[in-house]
Amino acid sequence: MATWMNRLAHRLRALFARGRIEHEMTEEMRLHLELESADLARSRGLAPDEARRQALVAFGGVERYREEHRDARGVRWLEDLGRDFRYAVRSLGRSPAFTLSAALVLALGIGSTTAIFSAVDAVLVAHLPYPHDEQLVRIFEQNSPTNRWNTSVADFRGIDAQQRVFSEFGAVRGREVAFSAGGEPRHVDIAAATAGFFRALGLTAARGRLIEPRDEHPGAPGVAVVTHDLALRELGGADAALGHPLTIDGTPYTVVGVLPPGIHDLAGVRSDVWPSLQLETPTRRGPFSLWIFARLKDGVTLDAARRDLADVSTRLLAVWTSDFHDASTKLTPYRLRQIILRDAPRTLGLFAAAVGLVLLIAVANVASLMLVRVTGRSRELTLRAVLGASRGRIARLLVTESLGLAALGAALGVVLAWVVLRALTDLGPHIPRLSAATIDLRAFAFAAAIGVATGALIGVYPVLSLFRGALAPALRSGEREVGAGRGTHALRGFLVTAQFALALPLLAGAGLLLNSFLRLQGVDVGFDPSHLLYVNVSLPSAAYKDAATINTFWVRALSRLRETPGIADAGVNTDMPSDNAGNTDNFDLLDRPVPAGTSEPVSIEVNADASFFTAARIPLLEGRLFSDADSGAAPSVLIVSRSWVRRFSPDRPALGRQLYQGGSRGSGSATTIVGVVGDVKYAGLAGGGEAMYNAATQSRMRDANLFVRTAGPPAEALERVRTVLRSIDPALALNVGGTMSERVYSSIASERNWATLLGGFAIAALALAAVGIFGMLSYLVTARKREIGVRLALGARRREVLAMILRRGMTFALPGAALGILVTLLTGRWLAAILYEVGAADLSTLTAVTLLLLAVAVLACYLPARRAASVTPMEAIRDD
Amino acid sequence: MAERAELLQGTLDLLILKALVVAPLHGWGISKRLRQLSSHALDVGQGSLYPALYRLDERGWIKAAWGISDEGRRAKFYTLTAEGKKQFAAERSQWRHFAATVELVLKAT
Repeated sequence: MATWMNRLAHRLRALFARGRIEHEMTEEMRLHLELESADLARSRGLAPDEARRQALVAFGGVERYREEHRDARGVRWLEDLGRDFRYAVRSLGRSPAFTLSAALVLALGIGSTTAIFSAVDAVLVAHLPYPHDEQLVRIFEQNSPTNRWNTSVADFRGIDAQQRVFSEFGAVRGREVAFSAGGEPRHVDIAAATAGFFRALGLTAARGRLIEPRDEHPGAPGVAVVTHDLALRELGGADAALGHPLTIDGTPYTVVGVLPPGIHDLAGVRSDVWPSLQLETPTRRGPFSLWIFARLKDGVTLDAARRDLADVSTRLLAVWTSDFHDASTKLTPYRLRQIILRDAPRTLGLFAAAVGLVLLIAVANVASLMLVRVTGRSRELTLRAVLGASRGRIARLLVTESLGLAALGAALGVVLAWVVLRALTDLGPHIPRLSAATIDLRAFAFAAAIGVATGALIGVYPVLSLFRGALAPALRSGEREVGAGRGTHALRGFLVTAQFALALPLLAGAGLLLNSFLRLQGVDVGFDPSHLLYVNVSLPSAAYKDAATINTFWVRALSRLRETPGIADAGVNTDMPSDNAGNTDNFDLLDRPVPAGTSEPVSIEVNADASFFTAARIPLLEGRLFSDADSGAAPSVLIVSRSWVRRFSPDRPALGRQLYQGGSRGSGSATTIVGVVGDVKYAGLAGGGEAMYNAATQSRMRDANLFVRTAGPPAEALERVRTVLRSIDPALALNVGGTMSERVYSSIASERNWATLLGGFAIAALALAAVGIFGMLSYLVTARKREIGVRLALGARRREVLAMILRRGMTFALPGAALGILVTLLTGRWLAAILYEVGAADLSTLTAVTLLLLAVAVLACYLPARRAASVTPMEAIRDD
Repeated sequence: MAERAELLQGTLDLLILKALVVAPLHGWGISKRLRQLSSHALDVGQGSLYPALYRLDERGWIKAAWGISDEGRRAKFYTLTAEGKKQFAAERSQWRHFAATVELVLKAT
């Protein structure tokens, strides 16, 4: 062991202190010669010159021993490497077409793998930007493994009073509000937070201070922390921002602190403004609109926290008996990391699998090219062997060449990785924290490692064939084909088969996603999006204090809009189709209460006026829409969707049934169902259609969506709608706005991007597989030209020759496709979770992609086959 | 050819170790001492000493350090390490055994 270490130290010194060792050696030898000549001069009385001559003779050739010394140091290999490298560069440079195509193929594989590596590194491996991020949790209410929701003020107070496991914890409440920093008010998403939230994350302000406990007391002046970005953009810089007044939801706030630059979200909550959160005193267990974040005490496990919170939940149940009875509901902590990353591990896993397949195909492809190349060079290599190069030396030449090729591929790959990563960030499905991914040093190291592995893989067979003595007979027989023995052909065939087997799962995945996407695109959204505009409107709570003023505004706004030329109809609701259900609510049917201790059913809840249904063209199926008679004083009424009826009232007519909303059994009055309308997609196109509509006149609609049906092109009417609204109240915050067609289209952007990206990889894979089989058959045809010529001369028909080559190609493609189907079936469940109404083993998709793969294979085989069929006997014989 | 070279090399290593048993020496000193010990009968290629010294150093049997020679010159002195001493004992007995065996064979009629 010690000897081994000693040697390693020597080798390293030899490598890195080369100059010094060289110098010491020279010194030592010079001293020897001097002492020897002095000794000779003294003992034998020789003249200095003669003494020196004899000393040199006795020494035996300084240069020779210097070389030997270098050999002993093991520096030789470095110099040889340089020579090998120069040889490889020359040799690759002699066939630029081969070199370039092989390097590009490798670059495709290495580049896409490196890009995904960077993404995985940034998203899954990197820590959240908070100290000890493993201690951070978010707390949910949860009553089944799949059903969790936010927490309430009552929960927060309960945790505050009883918990023993958290060192810090705080609450956040996100809201859509009218916001102004002095200019025109906008409708923005902001998050208010308590002091504990900032402390739990371990943040410090870049300027000023963060929210502190004194800001949380009711009546304390409103203060807010803002992001560095917002301070620069709207408040005149980080320093000028301090003390700047803000208007949030009509209430004045003062900026007291600025977050460090580069922070755009806290704990995954995006907001530019973080006002202090002043929690009201709870009067019931709900509503559940609070997000609680906490930091575990040192040494406390998630399990311990879960048990502690379960105890808190049990005690809370006894406190708030009036409106909450579900004993199975527990406050449950989740690691913040898991909450922020959501399904990123699966998304990235899928990408990693896809690029892994592309890389394998690329390697198989280039390995097969290398085989042809070494076969073609068997004469040159044999000559080298005959001239005295050892096998080891030739093997090293071949390996250096493979590595050189892989290095070129890796270098190009890094460039490609940058492009792929950009594409993934800009176009890909949303992946949290992906924007932090860069092609950094680690990515370079990764690309280099993959490059080395790739180089070894593509170089291994040529070297093996060398050692098996495949080269030896080449000179003797003078034949061109000797290197390409049976083994080489079999291996090439295997590589082609492998490429098809690897390409099929990619094609199938892309096909399934495309199929799923097309189905989504064909989903009935439940309303007519053409000629339908929307504008988000926020009524500041300071000016619009009660239901009456809010309703007056909407009645006025809607009637003014209907009178505006070019506008056919206008309505208003609170939830955006097709993918932004704002609220859900639990309910309990009057005539069939849920058993005690169990949870009430939950459905999407929307507030809307009657004209929302007519403007959006949502069909009324039964009963009636809301009317002016449904005032705040009248009994409350409800409209439900067809799917709601199917799910919650399948056995009884829904019309006239009554229910308690929001856990109000025992405390509130029941609501009556007066109408049934068609399903509208609120929770994404793949989501269900269950919804309950409360009458606008019986609810407060401060943050709402205005829907306007236009006579002409909708985009033109947008400005007119804004003008009308501003004329009613210039202080209104109007936001976004656009056409519903665009909105529906963009709601499935993620699915579309999935299909596009995977489709790109699949097409690349298919192209590689096609090139692979084409190359192999072309080579085969050239090699067997003479045989084919003889066959033709003996009377074989051209059609038969064509069929023979095609059959030959298919013997490689077909098993590949079969193997690929098997792999797809085995791994398909990975995809199942992101597919809509398409099974992971969807027969039509699998059939289609298999046929596509085989069609491409036949085409790739047909070209060389046709060439074979057009060989003339004369040409075949003359050519040799 | 390879065997002869190896034998010579092995012998050279043994001789160098022997030369260093008494006291540390520099390169030329070793060469001089070997000539004295063999009464100039052994013709050790003087240059071949240096690659061998490097090898022995690498194996940890001798240690090199710069010092001042009797002649007042800066020179690299080689010292036998503890491991080197063990190695020398082992190689010496090996050599004796080998030489005796060869002798036995040669004596046979």
